[in-house]
Formats: sequence, structure tokens, C-alpha cells
Amino acid sequence: MIPALTNLTRPMPFLADVEDSFWFPKQASSFASEVDWVYDFILYICIAFFVPMMAFMVWTMFKYTKKKGTKAESQVTHNTPLELAWSIGPSVLLVWMFVQGSISYLDMRTPPEGSYDVGVQAFKWGWTMDYGSGTFHPELHIVKDEPTKLSMRSTDVIHSLYIPAFRAKKDIVPGRYNYMWFKPTVASEKVSDEELAKAKKQSEGSDGWDYDKYQFTPDGYTFFDLYCAEYCGTNHSEMQTAVVVHETQEELDAWIKANSSRPEDQTPAEWGQLLYNRRGCSGCHSNDGSKLVGPSFKDVYASQHALASGDNVVVDDNYIRESIIAPKAKVVAGYQPVMPSYKGQLSDDDIESIIAYLKSISSNTAAPAAE
Amino acid sequence: MATIDSHSSESETHDEHGHDHDHPAWLAHHFDTPEQQFDSGKLGIWLFLTTEILFFSGMFCAYAMFRMLRPEVFEGCSQFLNTKLGAINTGVLLFSSLTMAWAVRCAQTEEYKKLVVMIASTLSCAMVFLGVKSIEYSHKWGMGLLPPGSYFYDEANPHPTAQQIVDQHGFSESTAYFLTHSLYYLCAPFALLLIGVFAWLVWAKVTDNKFQYACAKPLLVVCLSFFGGVGLGMVLESGGGEHTVAHVDGDHGAADAGHGHADHEHAEDAHAAETHAAAPALDVESDDVAMELLAESDLNTGAKAMLEAKQAQTAMASGQVVPPGVEADMGIATVEKDVQTKRQAGVFFGIYYCMTGVHAIHILAGIGVLVWLLIRAIRHDFNRQYFGPVDYVGLYWHLVDLIWIYLFPLLYLIR
Amino acid sequence: MSTAITSRDPGYPTDRENYLTNSSGILSWIFTLDHKRIGLMYLVGVMTAFAVGGLLALAIRLHLLDPEGWMFTGAEANNIYNQVFTLHGAIMVFLFIIPSIPAALGNFLVPVMLGAKDVAFPRLNLSSFYLWCFGAIFFVSALFSSGLDTGWTFYTPYSTTTDTSVILATLGAFILGFSSIFTGLNFIVTINTMRPPGMTWFKMPLFLWATYATSIIQVLATPVLGITLLLLIAERTMHVGIFDPEFNGDPVTYQHFFWFYSHPAVYIMILPAFGIISELISVHSHKHIFGYRFIAYSSIAIALLGFLVWGHHMFTSGMSSLTTIIFSALTFTVSVPSAIKVFNWLATMYKGSISLTTPMCYAISFIFLFTIGGLTGLFLGTLATDLHLHDTYFVVAHFHYVMVGGTLIAFLGGVFHWWPKMVGKMYNEFHGRIASLLVFLGFNGTFLPQFVLGSRGMPRRYATYDPEFAFLHQMSTYGALLLGCGLLYAFIVLMASLAKGRRAPANPWGGATLEWACTSPPPYYNFERPPVVGDPYDFHNIEWDSQEEKYISTEPERKLVPEEQPAEVPAHH
Repeated sequence: MIPALTNLTRPMPFLADVEDSFWFPKQASSFASEVDWVYDFILYICIAFFVPMMAFMVWTMFKYTKKKGTKAESQVTHNTPLELAWSIGPSVLLVWMFVQGSISYLDMRTPPEGSYDVGVQAFKWGWTMDYGSGTFHPELHIVKDEPTKLSMRSTDVIHSLYIPAFRAKKDIVPGRYNYMWFKPTVASEKVSDEELAKAKKQSEGSDGWDYDKYQFTPDGYTFFDLYCAEYCGTNHSEMQTAVVVHETQEELDAWIKANSSRPEDQTPAEWGQLLYNRRGCSGCHSNDGSKLVGPSFKDVYASQHALASGDNVVVDDNYIRESIIAPKAKVVAGYQPVMPSYKGQLSDDDIESIIAYLKSISSNTAAPAAE
Repeated sequence: MATIDSHSSESETHDEHGHDHDHPAWLAHHFDTPEQQFDSGKLGIWLFLTTEILFFSGMFCAYAMFRMLRPEVFEGCSQFLNTKLGAINTGVLLFSSLTMAWAVRCAQTEEYKKLVVMIASTLSCAMVFLGVKSIEYSHKWGMGLLPPGSYFYDEANPHPTAQQIVDQHGFSESTAYFLTHSLYYLCAPFALLLIGVFAWLVWAKVTDNKFQYACAKPLLVVCLSFFGGVGLGMVLESGGGEHTVAHVDGDHGAADAGHGHADHEHAEDAHAAETHAAAPALDVESDDVAMELLAESDLNTGAKAMLEAKQAQTAMASGQVVPPGVEADMGIATVEKDVQTKRQAGVFFGIYYCMTGVHAIHILAGIGVLVWLLIRAIRHDFNRQYFGPVDYVGLYWHLVDLIWIYLFPLLYLIR
Repeated sequence: MSTAITSRDPGYPTDRENYLTNSSGILSWIFTLDHKRIGLMYLVGVMTAFAVGGLLALAIRLHLLDPEGWMFTGAEANNIYNQVFTLHGAIMVFLFIIPSIPAALGNFLVPVMLGAKDVAFPRLNLSSFYLWCFGAIFFVSALFSSGLDTGWTFYTPYSTTTDTSVILATLGAFILGFSSIFTGLNFIVTINTMRPPGMTWFKMPLFLWATYATSIIQVLATPVLGITLLLLIAERTMHVGIFDPEFNGDPVTYQHFFWFYSHPAVYIMILPAFGIISELISVHSHKHIFGYRFIAYSSIAIALLGFLVWGHHMFTSGMSSLTTIIFSALTFTVSVPSAIKVFNWLATMYKGSISLTTPMCYAISFIFLFTIGGLTGLFLGTLATDLHLHDTYFVVAHFHYVMVGGTLIAFLGGVFHWWPKMVGKMYNEFHGRIASLLVFLGFNGTFLPQFVLGSRGMPRRYATYDPEFAFLHQMSTYGALLLGCGLLYAFIVLMASLAKGRRAPANPWGGATLEWACTSPPPYYNFERPPVVGDPYDFHNIEWDSQEEKYISTEPERKLVPEEQPAEVPAHH
């Protein structure tokens, strides 16, 4: 095992970006400057109290430390006007903080009319953003200077959507819809094609795209982090995704179009692999044979499985289709029925593509005699 | 009292105190006067009662919240509770409060015989209450009126056999057997208790142990009272059951006639729901039903929009084309607000079992301390200066009664 | 001088008087009804729990040395991490902090400080201790069955769906709740009815006021936790549909119920610490506490206001804007009484005659750390900033500054302050002070970086994290190692005193409260006669005897004040 100390020799991007302040990540939404202002305001008040108080304490500590047995200079028991003054005086500042904080908060609560609406579905452990017209993607893509409203629901436990750069956070409670909004003010940058090509080449063979390593999305955009902030189980810390802010609505539309269905030049198996990574399958189903929350996809096609109900099933096209639409109907023995239904979220072609992908990573090529 | 260290020093402290009054055996060594001891106990028990009230207040809050969220479920489901049995139990508990208060008085006036009688009657009332309660519980369990996780009530067949429970509702055979025979399981511990007390009585008589005989005699009556309660409950529940059935039958025609009428009465509502149970409207996937119900709630203003979006997606995924601007009517307006779907009705029974169950546990605890009091009373432990324990248990008992006095109207009466 | 006035000193107890030796054998401890022995048993218990919780904390910090996780490896790494932080939280909150000061020090001190022979209900007191043990056993059995990974808050629906031992742990917490209720009830009754003649409400030491306020919260808030956990168990076993959305329940209702207890519980943890600090600052400055009534009333005010602010744990959960704003406003009101106390402590030190003893070092650390903890609370009470900071390391740092920098430091200060009274031995001052310095530095090293982590957007409860946070996380881990060493050092100092410490005089610090008027350790019955009650912070007649290295009271022997009802009877509800 590598001793952790060597990490210190690795350059630590403590202030990765020169635009970062000491306390905060980049200000990338209309709320950010407001929140940072309130924060700084409270910070300065706190320092204005803390430093003199502690200086006074340390001074007293040195000045009045006496030999044992020395009597104290004073035995004053109280001074009501003084005490009232320091009880009531700071309260004025508290009222000020409260009012400032609440005004900003109300702004953050009320989405303006005609906001761009994105549906968000949170699940253990991933995100699906719904761009309408059947386009789903784990990344959040929005437009600069356009108020964006998120309508969020959870299929299992409580999650919380948190974008530090936007200073925005909201819990997602199962059984109800929660909303949040923000207006991004900084657009993502596009990295050069060579860099993207290089990264793509590097990541070939590894499963999925390493956002932290490349610091841009597979489409070549720099991004802002989106975290799940409410503890939700095993892979809570991996429930992250990227927020990409496009310069214009046209750019976003083009991106949506490119992601809404399988491009002409892609084979179903390739598209299936993309869906596998994008739609959260990879969170629970490995493609290398290791056992996660659900059965691994490696060699699963055309294999035999015992079900929790005691029956046996051969994994064929129909079983895969059924398991995507109604996952709890036939659960493989040894696993919990926790998968959400993808009914209505994947087109026929999508499901076909996933089946093709599963076929491609299975060595059981012999089609079972299901018919 | 006789712990190792307190014993050795007790005499010491007294000597060194130089109290001019004697330190009687019932006065704990760290108290100076009987008044101090009594006041401490009194304040202690009142604080304890405060914690009890707060303990129950959590459930009362839950009740209020869900009643506010789903009033129709609460109205509908309280119909299943037998008001007669509830009223009988209320009366029984009120009477037991009277005997308990009387017992405190007897302890103060040192009327030992009467004190024993009063405590024993309080105990008997508690047992009658539990007897009636076990009839209520077992009856509901057999019908499947359970919390949402296991609710399986079906109006077409309200009293399924164990085999039907296994086949139709997917319970294991042992659970099904328990549900259909729950009365036996509830009575069994009390029957064992009865046999034990009877054996004790006989043994005390044989060995001529006067004190034990004096203890066992009232306890036997107390145990018998449980079965008195069960008998009483059985008579009333069967009558009540018929009554309910008759009620629904009587409404049958009215329900048919009034179907679709905006102003349903509750029984009709329940009945109408039953009629719909067979209708395909309920074959919609349960997730969708839940979401549709969500969409109807005022708390989820955006749910409707999301629901439409989801339905549109479903339609598109299955190859249908929904022209933009046309709302897909997947039946938000037409799905019956079904009081008796598992999720809906179970919430009421979940709260019902929590509240009455925790209350019953308090009755059981009360029975425990009352038995202890009974034995001490027979031992003539109490006198006009030392009657604290009777007083404190009395206060506890009144609180348990009081909670029932709130539970009865909230669960049984308000409709 | 010492010859001019007759000095009074209780001397040393005989073995027959000494509560530690007046009866022997393991049974004399197991069945003891003596509040001092029960307090000592609690002390051993909570220290053990703290050691376990502390080791778990170190495991957390070591895991976070590397962005991908260092301590735990393999497929189950995240699961193990989740279980470790859950148990760290649950053990520290339920088994350590809540019983630490009230049950361990409180049991020992309340009757002695009050001048009573015992608490009002000694048997109930002993049963509280055994309930605590049972609760601890439940927690341990949860640990050894399938663990617990819900976070100490048991949020639904996660807690109703996870397959770990939620029921065992909630039962444990439920039982611990009753232990806490009975202790609180006992103290309220004791303080109300067992005061000796002359001990009026405003003659009580401030530690008793703080304990009284704490007990009120324990009695009023804990039952709500009890029913919440009971309903959670019912939800898990029978699906009663109250908290689980799958059965029509509402998870936010659970949060309301839970925080209705757990926010006041924060004050169960910190109020007794305030009480200890008030004693420590005054005694070691040898100066009358400044603003006695303000401090006493602010304890009660905090206890009552503490019931109205639970919603500030849920600002992001989707409550209505109005509710959120009301909770924010109420939250700010709680900060006022806390600030009053800090100002009063500083004023007490001013123009005093400070002895920089180990307890005083802890008291000064407390003021520094608690002030940071309190001030950072303002960022979280303010709505706009809370939305950003909620559920990040900023919150983690904030409550550790209050719970560890506040309660733990005060607890340590209290243990060092009353250690001579409890065991009759003096510890090594020099080493004690070094340990307190290490604890102070290690603590700041651990948690200061976490404020920056939080405001830079690092969410809490993450087993792995983005590489840009690595530097701060590593700083924090090294701080934690230093903190661990400091705590171990302090522990060794205490243990060493048992072996070779000097015999403790009755009054080693020059305190004027009643516990210093009886021998060290106190006799079994505390006071031979009802003690003479004076001003607990009047140091005029306490003189240092440099030959014997102890303080003696030069007050002329007073007659017992005539028995009379206390003049002031405050409303206690």
C-alpha cells in the first residue's frame, strides 16, 4: 500500500482556480455573489467580535495570573447596565443578519416566470435529467443567463441536489416534488479538440469517464460539480455529476438533439454502452463480473439464473426487456428488489441497444433455446 | 432497602443527625421528614406523567397530521371500529379510576380490607379492558385491517380463511394461521396466568400460608376478569359485526342509485370503492396510482405537470404519438379516490395500532404496579403518614385513563 | 495570619467515612445506591464509550487521507466507512456526550453541591445507570450483527429500507432515552425538594442551575425521541405508513419529530458545560462570578428557546418559506443568552487572581473554541448562507466546535477540577497543562480546515472526494492524530495520579461551593450535619496555606441559619 504521506508531495490544487476566493469556489450563478456577500458580511462582524474578545482574554490571562493566595483586585458581582448593554447591543446586528439572509433566501425560493424547466430524477446512486421529448442524460446542461428551474423527484430515499458554484441546494424527498432554481452566469468552456481526442483515447478501455481526472465532460466542456448532499447509502460519495452551462440556447438544443437518440453512425451495442454509463446502470451493475448492488452484466446474456421466487430463468431478450420495464417482477436470487422502473424512459431502440450491448460483453453467444 | 452500604451507614446517619423524631422504617435514610419524602415522590410522579404526555403527544401529532392530509381515509376507516366496544371500555376505565381514587382514600384512612378490594377492582377493570381489546384486535387481524405493509381487507370476502389469506394475499402459512387464530394467541398468556394463580391459590391453601392465600384470592378474580372481558367483547362484536354488515347491505341499493353522486356518504364511499375494485381503473400500475393521488393533493402543485410529462413519455415509449398541446387523459379525474387501497386505509390502521397498542402497554405496566400495590396493601404497608405509592400509582392510572378518553373519540367517534 | 483567625478544614476522611472504602467487594458497587459511586461508574462508562467513539473518529480521518479512501479498501470500503461514521456519531451522541456531564459529573456533584445526602430517588438513579449499560449493549450488538449505516439521525426512508441493524440501534437509543429521562427527573426533584436550610435558589452554584435547565430539557424532549424511535421501529417491522413514503408516509414528518428532540438535545450537551465553565472560571480566578443572575437566567432561557428552533436543521427540506423564515428568526434569539455567558466569563477573569491550573487551561480553551463554534452558528442560522453550507463540512466543523470544543473540553476541565474530590489524589499539574495544550492545538488542527472545506463545497458523509479537497482533508487528519495524542496524554496524567498522586486536601483550588467543604473524597453521607450555606462565590475568607499546599476557610464558625422556607420560589415549568 502506498503510504498516504506521499500525497503531500503531489501538487494539491488547493486553490485550483485563480478566480477562486479563499472561502468559496467560483461564483457561477446570480446567487453566488449575493450569498458570498452575506457570508463575508457575517464573517467581518464575527471577526470584529472575536478578535477583541480573545485579545482581551489573553491579556487578562497574562496580566492577572498571580501567585497562589493572592486576593483578586476586585470582587464586583455584577453591573446591570453593562450586562444589559452587551445583551441587547449585539442583538441589533443579529436582526440585520436575519433580514439580509431572509431577503436573499426569498429570492432564491421564487423561480421567475417562464424559467427553463428540467426534470430531475435522483436515485441510488445517480441522476437522470429529463430534457423533455424523451431525452435523458446524467449531466445537467443549461444555458447561461437563463433562469432554470429543476423539478425534482426521488425514486428511493432522500437525496439533495447541491451545486457549490451556484450556492444552491435542495433536498429531494421521495413522495413529493421539490423545486429549485438558479441563473447561471458563467458558461462552460470548450476544450480543444486535440485535448479531447487525447483524453478519449486514454479513457478507452476503462469503464466510464473520469470527470475528476480530465476536468471536462466527454463532450469536451468544462463543468461545475453537482453533488448529492444528503446521505443516501453506500455510494453516496459517488453520486456526483457535472453541470455544463452553454453559451446559447441553440448550443444546448444541438446538444440535446445529439443525445436524444442513437446517432446514425453508431451501432446499437455502442449506443447501449453509452446508455449503460449514462443512465445509471453502471451504478449497480458492473461490466467486469464484480458483484455490486445488482448482478454483473458480464456474461449475463444467455446465462441461467435462479430467481428469488425459486424459478429459473434464462436471460434472453424478453427477460432483459421485462427487467428494465418491471424490475421487481423477476428478481435474481440473492439481490434486493431495489431497481427503479425505466418504463417510459427508454425508447424501444434504446432497449434494443442495451440488449445488443449485453450480448457484446457476453461470452455465451449460443442463443438459448428459449423459443 | 437492604443494600450493603446503605445498611451499614443508615444507623450511623440517624445517630449523628440527632433527629428528635424517630426515623420510621418507611422513611428513606436520605430524607429528613416524611413530608420531604412525600413531596419528592409527588413531584417525581408528576414529572413522569409529563414525560408520558409528551410521549403520547408524538402520536397525537402524527394523527392530526395525517387526518389533515387524508381526512377521507380517517372518516372511512373509523367505520370499522366498533363504537360499542369502545364505549364499554371507556366506561370500564372510568369506573376503574373511581375505584383507584377510592383506594387512595382507603390507604389514607387505613381501611385495609377496603383498600384491597378497591385495588383488586381496579385491576379487574384493567383486565376487562384488555379482554375487550383483544377481541377488537383479533377481529380486525382476521379481516386484514392491518397497517399498510400487510393490509389485505377485501369487502367481497371480509373473513377469509387461512388458506385464502395464503393464496390471495401472499402471506406465509404460519402468519395466516396466526391472523385467523389470533384470539387464541392473545388469550394464551392470560390463560397460563390464570392456571398459575389457581395453582398458587391451591398450594397456599394446602400449606396454610395465610398471606399468600390472601394474595392469590383477589388475583384469581382479576385473571378471571380478562375472560369476562373476552366474553363481553365476543357478544358485542358479533352483534356489532352483523350490524356493520347489515349497514353495508342496507346501503347497497342506495350506493348503486347514488353512484356518481357528488355528495357521498361514507359507507357508500367505501362501498363504491368496492364496486370499483373489480373495475380496470385500479389495474393501473400502483406507482401511477400513487402519483395520481399525489397530483390531486394541493401540496404537490407541480405533480400534475410531471405526471402528464411522464404519461406522455410512456405513450411515446410504447409508440403512440401524442400531439402537442393535447392533454393525455390517463384518468386523473376518473380514478376513484379509493379509501380502501392498501396504502390509503393502512395509514389509519397504522396509527390506530400504534396509539392503542402503546396505550395497552401502559395498561399492562399499570397492572404490574397495581399487583405490587395489592401485595403491599395486604401486607399492611401503608398508613396515614405513608400512602405515597398508592397515591402515585393512582395518578399514573388516571393519566392512562385520560389518554383513553382522548383516544376513544378521536379514533372511534369523529366521523 | 493563620493564627489570628481559627481556620476550618475538614481534614482527611477515615477509611470508614470515605465513600470509596466504606464498604468493599464488587457487590457493594453493583448494588450501590450512593450517588457518588454511581457517578464514578458512569464516568468509567462514558470514558469507555468515548474511547470507542474516538477510535472510530480516527478511522474516519485516516480513511479521508486520500481522495479515493485510504483506511478501508476493497469493494466494501464505502459501506465500512458509512458504518464507521454512523457509529462514531451514534456512540458519541447517545453514549458519551448526553450522559457525560449530567450523568457522570452531575451525579457526583449535584447532591454534594446542594448539601444533600443523596439524590431524591437513589434506586431510580442506579436503574438509570443500568439502563445506560443496556442501551450500550444494544449498540454494541448492532455493531456486531450487521452494523448500522443510517447516520446517527436515522432518517427515513433510508433507515426503513437499509438491511443493517436499525432496530437494535434504535432500541438502544430508546433505552438510553429513558436513562436520560430518569436522571433528569431525579435532578429536578432533588434540586426542588432536597435543598438544606439556607440554600435558596440564588445561593445555588451555577452548575446546579445549568443542571436544572438541562434536566428540564431531558424530561420534556426525550419522550418525543422515544415515541419517534418507537414509530420508526413500527415502520420498519409493520410498515405503519407514518414515515415511509412507500406506504403513504412522510419522511419530513420524521425529521420534524426527530429534531424536536435532537435540537434541544444539543442543549442537553452544552448547558452543563456552561455550568462547569462558570465554576471553573470563578474558582480559578478567585473572583466572584460576574453577573450571577444573568448567567442563571440565560441557562433557563436557552433551555426554553431551544425547543423552538428545531426547524433550522431542515432549511433545505422544502418547508414553506414562511416556516423557514420563522425558524431562522427564532434561531438567532438563542445566540443571545449564549453570548451573555461568554461576556460574563471574560468579565469574571478581569481583575481576578488567576491560577493557570489545568482546569483553568481547559476553561480558557473552552471560551476560545466555543466562541468560534457559536459565531459560525450565525452563518448557518442565516438562510442565504445556510443553503450553501447545509450538509457540508462547515456544519461538521461547527458542531464539533460546539460539541467537542465546548462540551468535551468542559468535561475534561470538570474532570480535572473535581478529580481530587472524586478520587482523593492530586495529578501532576505540569503534565496536565501540556496535555490541555496538545488537545487545544490538535482540535483546531482538525476542525479549522473543515470550515474552509465546507464553504468550498465539500459535502459531508463522503467516503471519497474530489482531489481538490485533499490538502485540507490531510491537514485535518494530522490534526486529529495530534488531538488523539493529547487526549491519551491527559488520560495517562489522570491514571498516573491514582498510582502516585499526592493526597488531595479538602480544598485544593480554593472553591467556595459546598463540595469543597467536605473531605476529599467525601464521606459516604456527604455532610455530617446540614452544611452552612453561604454565597457560593464569596472568596473573602478562603486563604492559601502554602505549607500544606491547600486552601482553608478562615470564616468563623457560623450558627445554622434558622430553618425557613426559601424566599424565592421560581417557576420551574
